[in-house]
Amino acid sequence: MLQNGTVTALRQTWVLARNDLRQELRELELVVTSVFFTVVILALYAVSFAEMSKSAQPKAVPGMLWIALAFVGALTLTRVFEREREADTFAALLAAPVNRVAIYGAKFSVTLVVLCVCAAVLVPGLLLVFPGSGVEGWSAVEMLATVLLGCAGFAAVGTLFAAGLAHSGGKNVLLSVVLYPLTTPVLMMSLVATQRVLQAHPGAWDILAKIAAVDVILVIVGGALFESVLVGGAARSSRGAEAGPDMLGGQSR
Amino acid sequence: MSDSIIPCELRSVVKSFGRTAVLRGVSLRLEAGQVTGLSGINGAGKTTLFRILAGLDDADAGEVCFGSSGDVGVHEGVREHVAFVTHAPQLYPLLSARENLELFAALRAARGRETMPATEALASVGLEAANDRAVRTFSRGMAQRVVLARAVAARPALMLLDEPFTALDADGQELVRRILREARARGASVLLSSHDLDRLCEVSDRVVRLHEGRLALPLERGADEAPARLKARLQASP
Repeated sequence: MLQNGTVTALRQTWVLARNDLRQELRELELVVTSVFFTVVILALYAVSFAEMSKSAQPKAVPGMLWIALAFVGALTLTRVFEREREADTFAALLAAPVNRVAIYGAKFSVTLVVLCVCAAVLVPGLLLVFPGSGVEGWSAVEMLATVLLGCAGFAAVGTLFAAGLAHSGGKNVLLSVVLYPLTTPVLMMSLVATQRVLQAHPGAWDILAKIAAVDVILVIVGGALFESVLVGGAARSSRGAEAGPDMLGGQSR
Repeated sequence: MSDSIIPCELRSVVKSFGRTAVLRGVSLRLEAGQVTGLSGINGAGKTTLFRILAGLDDADAGEVCFGSSGDVGVHEGVREHVAFVTHAPQLYPLLSARENLELFAALRAARGRETMPATEALASVGLEAANDRAVRTFSRGMAQRVVLARAVAARPALMLLDEPFTALDADGQELVRRILREARARGASVLLSSHDLDRLCEVSDRVVRLHEGRLALPLERGADEAPARLKARLQASP
């Protein structure tokens, strides 16, 4: 049976994720930006590798998929905390009786949804452009699980660092510096899993189980570190107001 | 228990940003049913003090204690009794005023805390006709009223009001006075800052000045003391 604190955190996660998705539906800022970028990458792949032999496609297409998702993911993560940063609602959330893990959970969920929407464009697109990618009889369910688990691992790490960096003045270049080395293991495992799925390899579920285990660890570590990243970031961002209130729109201290 | 976190006490709180010492051993006790006015020039450390009380920053040294048992730290259980209003609106611009309030009400409800219905809270600040308008279409003063409504809706035991008069017209300023009267009447404690010393002395039961990170002794307002007299004492204090 779940403890009260866990139930509260889950409820607050749902409230915050619903709030984010409601705003996203009104503006479509994240989805349009990310999907448009996805389509551009797909078009570049189609033009660049149009002459690729069918025998090379099963090896190349999984790489294309995860390279594209890594870039789209980074783009998404630079924007996922933007509403809180622009309107300073981070401070309102942190001062409210909100479990910090709920904020992490909500942003993780939103990032995952956006990545899955992009994957829903990317995977069929790649299979259409490169029809020799998969052997006959590959499993769509396994592909769905691969995309979901790979994106979840990427989002688990990315959400943690996106929060800290968004809070410390939006130095998004640092996000990529931190994000890619830390997400490489998940991306590599997802790439191998995608190759196995497309080749109808009997060991596909083995590696998917490993990715799931890594995801669980990443989400737990991300949730545990989130408060220190967030409050540390809050302190750094408030330092700007302390240093020069009159230069920051008349903020006082 | 709405009064469980009062009294609230800062004990020798120190805070620095890099080499800049902002608070240098600040001690202050906030009592139930009392409005404490905080004055200080730009850079004195007022906002840092508020942020530490709201749980947005940690003190480098010292303690923030709540309730008669002296519970230390601004944890989630404390924050459900605190409302923090700043000079910045901190509202989601794409959401309506009602949705903004309902979001924070839902977050409190998840912890089993009841809040005043959003429409009622907005009506109490004179925004009943603008319930469903997106906040991005609001004037700065209207947004400040929404923030005040969010604070009132929570029925907090501790209200932290950092320059709450910002952008408010005469009616809005009277609204803040009413909120303070109501908070005092229900036994809440209020810490309020303002650069307008006349207004600060008018609405406060006691005033205290923060200067270069140090807090002077609080000046209690006499039973029939005029605000101008309290202001004169504040200005003359070391």
